[in-house]
Amino acid sequence: MRGPQDYGGMPAGPVDPEKHEHVPTHWEKTVDAMMMLLFDQRRRLARVDESRRMQEALGDDYHKYPYYERWLQAISWLMLEKGVYSQEELEAKKAEVRARLEAGSHGS
Amino acid sequence: MSETHDHSHDHDHPTHTHDGKPIQEDPLPSLEAQILEASVRELLIEKGVISSDDVRRAIDQVESRTPALGAKIVARAWDDPAFKETLMSDSDEALMAFGIDMRPTELCVVENTDDVHNMVVCTLCSCYPRPVLGIPPAWYKRRDYRSRAVREPRAILREFGTDIPEQKQVRVHDSNADLRYLVLPQRPDGTEGWDQEKLARLVTRDAMIGVSDVLEPADIDD
Repeated sequence: MRGPQDYGGMPAGPVDPEKHEHVPTHWEKTVDAMMMLLFDQRRRLARVDESRRMQEALGDDYHKYPYYERWLQAISWLMLEKGVYSQEELEAKKAEVRARLEAGSHGS
Repeated sequence: MSETHDHSHDHDHPTHTHDGKPIQEDPLPSLEAQILEASVRELLIEKGVISSDDVRRAIDQVESRTPALGAKIVARAWDDPAFKETLMSDSDEALMAFGIDMRPTELCVVENTDDVHNMVVCTLCSCYPRPVLGIPPAWYKRRDYRSRAVREPRAILREFGTDIPEQKQVRVHDSNADLRYLVLPQRPDGTEGWDQEKLARLVTRDAMIGVSDVLEPADIDD
């Protein structure tokens, strides 16, 4: 059975080498950097196959997520699974960050 | 997160991050993605898994990895047969000379010859020899390239403006989590006596992925 990630040999459109270039943004590089840190020899908190397992668990949403948002989701699920933080801690932190970002975007 | 990303074109985001660093002009992802990223990062910092300095240094490292590293390796392999032999047989050892550590992945160097053209894909995700080439290009991560590279590589190559003669074999290497590929292109004629620095200028990222040829000597200025 093919997972959502398993594209090999499937029909698809043309590649446009110029249009399909993209300079990574600072935000994307931050996600990249976090993944790299979790992979490194010192932490060994994740491996590529684990990151993939989480991304593939997105099912049909796999195609809807921008690339680095998929990575980010994988990081978060892996950290939950490994007990680095709990779902409650994550929800509390998200509420705090949401309030801060929303205040920031409407204030000043 | 599975919502469509309507927020991505909002530009009313804060102009500074919480630590006072100006946000780049880059477009930001959806608000939900920004919230999740900041939350995960801050939790990892609070839990002592990473520090802000670690993140800054890791971003520097991400930025320092560019195809120029791969080009230096290729140029040395062209110029130094003993190095090339080590690179082909024990790439970890060869990369050590450049201070490059592929772990936990392994680098396999595949050599183009008069009879074989090599090309690299990752059909299942976006595995790529990041320590020597940096972040993969967007097209490498897209469905179009990943789907078709293994079925109709010559058609893809033509989309990159690369025509491989019918009598030459095209070998497609499908990368995986543990094994990454780097194409060693053929050294062009007319480069006899060139030093490695000059040779490296011929070697493009796309040539090391195998979707195009290296530049011609006439393409670069002296």
